[in-house]
Amino acid sequence: MADPTTQTRTLDHGTQPERFARGWHCLGLASEFKDGKPHSVEAFGGKLVVWENTKGELGVLDGYCRHMGGDLTQGTVKGDEVGCPFHDWRWGADGRCKQIPYARRVPLRARTKAYETVIRNDSLLIWHDPEGSKADYDILPPELPDVSNREVYTDWIWNTVPIKGSHCRELIDNVVDMAHFYYVHFAFPTDFRNVFEDHTATQYMASKGRPDVAGGYGDADMFLKSEATYYGPAYMINWLEVDYKGFVTEVILINSHIPTGPDSFLLQYGITVKKPEGLDDKTANFIGKKYADMFGDGFLQDVAIWENKAPVQNPLLCEEDGPVYQLRRWYEQFYVDVADIEPEMRARFEFEVDTTKANEFWHEEVAENLRRIEAEKASEPVETSEGVS
Amino acid sequence: MASFVPTSEETVEDQRLYTQARLVEVECLDCLARVGVKKNSEHQTSVQWTAEAQAQCPDLVRRKSAADGARLVHARCPRLAASIEAAVADGRIQIGAEDGY
Ligand code: FES
Ligand SMILES: [Fe+2]
Repeated sequence: MADPTTQTRTLDHGTQPERFARGWHCLGLASEFKDGKPHSVEAFGGKLVVWENTKGELGVLDGYCRHMGGDLTQGTVKGDEVGCPFHDWRWGADGRCKQIPYARRVPLRARTKAYETVIRNDSLLIWHDPEGSKADYDILPPELPDVSNREVYTDWIWNTVPIKGSHCRELIDNVVDMAHFYYVHFAFPTDFRNVFEDHTATQYMASKGRPDVAGGYGDADMFLKSEATYYGPAYMINWLEVDYKGFVTEVILINSHIPTGPDSFLLQYGITVKKPEGLDDKTANFIGKKYADMFGDGFLQDVAIWENKAPVQNPLLCEEDGPVYQLRRWYEQFYVDVADIEPEMRARFEFEVDTTKANEFWHEEVAENLRRIEAEKASEPVETSEGVS
Repeated sequence: MASFVPTSEETVEDQRLYTQARLVEVECLDCLARVGVKKNSEHQTSVQWTAEAQAQCPDLVRRKSAADGARLVHARCPRLAASIEAAVADGRIQIGAEDGY
């Protein structure tokens, strides 16, 4: 092999997977689907129909009718079933056609793709597996105590961002990417740790806002303690402790996504804030909104990078970087057949990154930026009470 | 079925370098679980477990079965951490990376 230190390095774009991940996927807040109408959700290269039956349960089916391909999302909810707009075949949440109003019998083969559903932390989750396995309820994300209790937590603020031109693995890579928090999100990571095990991947981070930039997490008075775990390929719970000028707020951030195509996905994030003692609802909701905006900005900072970057199978790392290769090895388990899962994809891996060296450089850079900002201010015309207005 | 497939041989070699190279076997002084350890610097540690080692560590086993294990499972085992420190002190684990891995 040629000497790699003198060779020009090329990016290996690789080929993207021809399938979508196996696991629980979140379609959004359950309440959004409970208005008696069929809803359309783009997912897994197609479209799903979601509706509420008379018992208040949500059904999820492939969006296209098995009769002549009518679009069920444009149909009508009739009792427990969704009726197709084309010839009114009535489909139940178990995937069976229950009734054809103009026919004596329903063909025995009238079965469509039905998804198993669970309501978890106020959201609708569905099981997706290209191999068609039964849902694995043992690996559901945990239930967050009291999160549905509006006395304890504020209402969810739920946002969606469609991403085009990137595979959702770009989003997953964030789990290990220590340095981007400084450059993209304007925070100094002071502590950084990863643990991957079984179907979970966790990031622990403590960080402090940068004083020289605004936006994102940039704010010298802001300290974040974050523990974020992916439960499966697409649903992350992020427990956050935000300390702003000594005022500590507990925030829960759900970061989930649905792959919509081979290089597109719908990012969804929800935020709720534990109501601080002695604060009225209005103030608590205001704080919730503020943090939703802040983390929303954070995602948009990432999106700007993803939409312009190249896919890369062979990232070149320096010794301060996080374990990108190990994370991707973990993520791979959701894309291969269950029979092909290798033990090392699920074996426990722990990583602690040294942020001291990086922080020395970053603090110097920030100090330099602050000096420059001061100098620019000093050279501007001075405002006095009767001067420039 | 194949998923993210590299298109070059060198990528496969990169995958090996970053996930396996320089891992030193360390045995826990208490439970004798064997893990792979790598240290790119004084305060940076990678620990690669195997299913056998995980089953052997009483600390991990206990936390996994705990009621609120969902969050606890991530803490590291203090006895293994001490064993790694001892291995570093003995000079059994080289500190420093080789061209980023
Ligand atoms: S296509 Fe749906 S009822 Fe005919
Ligand atoms: Fe990010």
